[in-house]
Amino acid sequence: MPTLTPLLSIQHTSKTYDGTPALVDAALDLMPGEVHALMGENGAGKSTLIKILAGVVRPDRAEIRIDGQPVSIHSPKEAYDRGLRFIHQELQIVPQVSVAENLALSQPYPRWLGVLVDWRKLHQQANRALERLGISHIDPRQSMARLSVGDRMLVKIASAFANSTQAASIYVLDEPTAALNAAESQRLFAVIRELKTQGCGILYVSHRMDEVFEICNTVTVMRDGRVISTQAIQQTSRGGLIRLMTGREVSHAYPPRTQPHGQQVVLEGHGLLNGVDFQVRAGEILGIAGLAGAGQSELLKAIMGALPATVGTLSLEGQPMTPAHPADGWEKGFAFVPQERREQGLVLSRSVRENISLPHLRRLSTSGVLLDVGRETRLADDLSKQVRLKATSNRQLTRQLSGGNQQKVVFARAMAGQPRLLLLDEPTRGVDVGARFDLYTLIRQASIDGTAILLASSDLGELLGLCDRILVLRRGRGATVVKAAGLTQHDLLALCYG
Amino acid sequence: MDAGRNLLPTRLKGNRWLRRSGTLIGFLIVVIIFTLNNPSTFLTLPNWLNISQQVSMLAVVAFAMTIVMVMGDFDLSVGSMASLAGILAALLFRAEQPLAVGILVALGAGLIGGLINGLLVSYVGITPFVATLGTLTIFSGAAFLFSGGETIFGRDIPAEFSGFARTGLPIGTVNERPLLFPAMTILALVVLGIIWLLLEQTTYGRRLYAIGGNAEAARLAGVRVRLLRLIAFMLTGLGAATAGLMYASRVASANPTQGAGLMLDAIAAVFLGMTLSEEGEPHVLGTLLGVLILGVLDNGLTQMQVDSYVREILIGGIIIGAVTSSSLSRRNR
Ligand SMILES: Nc1ncnc2c1ncn2[C@@H]1O[C@H](COP(=O)(O)OP(=O)(O)OP(=O)(O)O)[C@@H](O)[C@H]1O
Ligand SMILES: [Mg+2]
Repeated sequence: MPTLTPLLSIQHTSKTYDGTPALVDAALDLMPGEVHALMGENGAGKSTLIKILAGVVRPDRAEIRIDGQPVSIHSPKEAYDRGLRFIHQELQIVPQVSVAENLALSQPYPRWLGVLVDWRKLHQQANRALERLGISHIDPRQSMARLSVGDRMLVKIASAFANSTQAASIYVLDEPTAALNAAESQRLFAVIRELKTQGCGILYVSHRMDEVFEICNTVTVMRDGRVISTQAIQQTSRGGLIRLMTGREVSHAYPPRTQPHGQQVVLEGHGLLNGVDFQVRAGEILGIAGLAGAGQSELLKAIMGALPATVGTLSLEGQPMTPAHPADGWEKGFAFVPQERREQGLVLSRSVRENISLPHLRRLSTSGVLLDVGRETRLADDLSKQVRLKATSNRQLTRQLSGGNQQKVVFARAMAGQPRLLLLDEPTRGVDVGARFDLYTLIRQASIDGTAILLASSDLGELLGLCDRILVLRRGRGATVVKAAGLTQHDLLALCYG
Repeated sequence: MDAGRNLLPTRLKGNRWLRRSGTLIGFLIVVIIFTLNNPSTFLTLPNWLNISQQVSMLAVVAFAMTIVMVMGDFDLSVGSMASLAGILAALLFRAEQPLAVGILVALGAGLIGGLINGLLVSYVGITPFVATLGTLTIFSGAAFLFSGGETIFGRDIPAEFSGFARTGLPIGTVNERPLLFPAMTILALVVLGIIWLLLEQTTYGRRLYAIGGNAEAARLAGVRVRLLRLIAFMLTGLGAATAGLMYASRVASANPTQGAGLMLDAIAAVFLGMTLSEEGEPHVLGTLLGVLILGVLDNGLTQMQVDSYVREILIGGIIIGAVTSSSLSRRNR
C-alpha cells in the first residue's frame, strides 16, 4: 500500500496553563477519507488540541502540516481559510440574531451591489444548510435565543457543514452529539459518511463508545495531555479503550439495586404540563424519557420552583406544595442539576469551591451570615474527590476546567448532605466513560440512603440501567409510566414516539 | 459571551503578577513623580491626611457603588441623591429640628431612593442605566424643588453639624498646631470596613458575586436574585446619602447640585479597582485604590499648578489607559 500524505499532521504540540501542562508533545495524523476518534478522560487535553488547531489557543509549541505543507494558525480566520471547520464543545452562538445569521457567521453575507445584505439569499443558504442535516423544524428567521439547547447545537453543526466559497477538507467535531438525541445523531452520522466518501478527514471527539465504533476508522487515545496510542478501530475493544484512557480497571456495568426502595411517597404530581401525573417514593429512581423538547426540563424546573407559573398540583410527603423560587426547593432539601452546565449551572468566573457551596451557603456559615471557609473547603474537597474532579485545587476557576469536569462540579454540589429529592437533568452529559460510572454509583448510593430521585436523560441505556420506573413524556399528549425491568432500548424508544 | 471571551486569539503574553498589579505600579510611579516634583510638601503626613479628607466623600460613594457593580449593575443617581440628602437635612435644620432628625431623614431618603431604584431594576425589569438615569433626574428635580433652587447656609446649619468635618483624633502637632486624623476619614474607613465585611465575608456578598457572574445559574442554585438586588440598591442609596451629609458638613451648606460630580468619579474609581482583579470583578479594596489614584492625582497636579482642565484630560486618559491595558492582558488565556 502506498503511503498517503496525511490531510492534517500534528507533531510536537504542547501547551501549559500557568505551569500545569495540558498538552505534552501531542502528535496525530488525519488521513483523507478517515473518521478519526479522539478519546480520553475529562481533562485529557482533547479540546485544548482542537482549540490550538482552530487558532483560538496559542500553543507553547506546535508543528502543524496540512497536505504536507507546514502551516501556522494564529486565528480562527486563518483556520477557516485553510479549509478547517470546527464544532467546538462549548456552543458559540450569537443569541441576539437570527438562525440564518448564525449560520453565516464565518462567511461574508450575500449582498446587493456589495452593500445591502441580500436577506432572501441568506435565508435560502440557511435553509439549504439545515436541509442537509434533515432539519425542517427550525425557521432560519427565528432568533437564536428562542431555540432549545439541542436545536442550537443543530444550527452550530449545520454551520460547520454549510457550503462555502472556500472548500473545506478537514472537519473537527468536539462532542457534537452530547446534546443530541439518537435520531439527530444518526442524521449527523449520515453527513459524516458522505464527507468521508468525498475524501474529507474528520477528527471526532466523543465519550460515547457506541458512536465511535459505529462511525470511526481509527482511534487515538490521550491521557494526561499525552497521546498514548493510535489504532485501527477493528484492533480495539471497549474494555481495551477504557483501560487505555483511564489506566485503571473500570466497571462498566450499572450499579444494581441491592435492596428494595421505600414505600413512602415523597413527591406526587398531578396534571403538570397539561396532564402529567407521577409519584416517586423514598429511594426510588424515576426516569424521565421523551423526544427532544417533550418537557423533561420544564417538569424538573416546575418542581424546583424555577418556572413562573405552573399548572397542576404538587404534594410533598402528602402536604400540598407550591414552590415559587428555587430557593424554596433547596430549603426543602431538594437538589437540582440543571440541563445546561454553563448557562444554568456554573458561575464560571468563580472557583470550584464557591460553585459547590453556592446552594448550601446558609448551612456553611455562622448564623447564616458569616462565611465559614473552613467548612466550605472541606465540603468542596470531599465532593470533588467523590466525583474524581480534575482541578488544580478547589480555588481553580470553573472557567478553566474541561467541559466534563465542569459538569462534575454541577453534579457534585447536588450530592452535598443527603437530599430528600434529587432532580437530575442530563447529569452525565460530557462526562467520560470511567467517571460516568462513578457518578452512577453515587446516584445509586443516594437512592439506597432513601433519596427520591428524578432522572431525565436522553441516554436510554442510562435510564434503563438505573431507574426503577420510567415516566415517558409526549409533548401535549400526556405521559405514561412504565417499569424499567425487562424493557429494551427499542421498547423505550417506541414508547417515546408512541 | 463567556465562550467568546474564552476563545479570543491569544497574542499577548505577560507575567501574571505584573498584569494584575499594573494599576498599583502606575499609582506608585505617580506618587514618586509627585514626590520628586514637590519634595517638601507632597509626601508628608499632613498632605496625605488632607488628601484622605478630600476624597472621603467620593470614597463613601465609590464603596457603596461597588456593591451594585459587583452584580454588574450601575447606579447613576448617587450624585443627585447626595445633593437631595444634604438639602433635606439642611431644610430640617432650618426648621429647627434636632440634629438627629435631619440626619435620619436624609439617610432614610437614601434608603427610599435606593428602594425605588431597586424596585425598578429588579421587579419592573428596567435596565439599571435607564432606571437610575430617570431617578437621577427625579432626585435632582426634588432637590431643586425643596430648596427653591437656593443654597442653604449660614445660621441655618448648626455648628455641631458643620463641626464634624473639622474635628478629628489628635495624633500630634505640626508647627505648634494640633495635627488631626480627620473624622471624615475615619467615617470613610468605617464604611470601607463594613462594605468589605459585607462583600467578602458574608453569604450576602458571596451571592452578589454569583449574581454578577451568572444570574440565572445563581437563581437556580437558590439565590433570591431580585431581593438581593433590591437590597444592594438600597445600600448604595444609603451610601450616597451619607456622602451627601458629609459634603454638607464640610462646606457648611447645602445646594441642589453639590453632589453632581460624585457619580462619574465613583464609577471611574470602581473601574480602576477592577483592573486589579484577575476576572475583572469589582472589589472594595480595589475601589479604595481607585479613589486614592483620583485623589492623589488631583492633589499632586494642583500642587504642580496644572490647569484644572488639563487635569481632567489627564485623569480621563489614565482611566482609559488602565482599563485598556488590563482588558488586553486578560485576553491572554
Ligand atoms: N484557560 C485555562 N486555564 C487553565 N487551565 C486550563 C484552561 N483551559 C483548559 N485547562 C486545563 O487543561 C486541561 C485539558 O483540558 P481540555 O479542555 O483540553 O480537556 P478535554 O480532554 O477536552 O476534556 P473533556 O472531555 O472534559 O472535554 C484540563 O486539566 C483543564 O483544566
Ligand atoms: Mg473537551
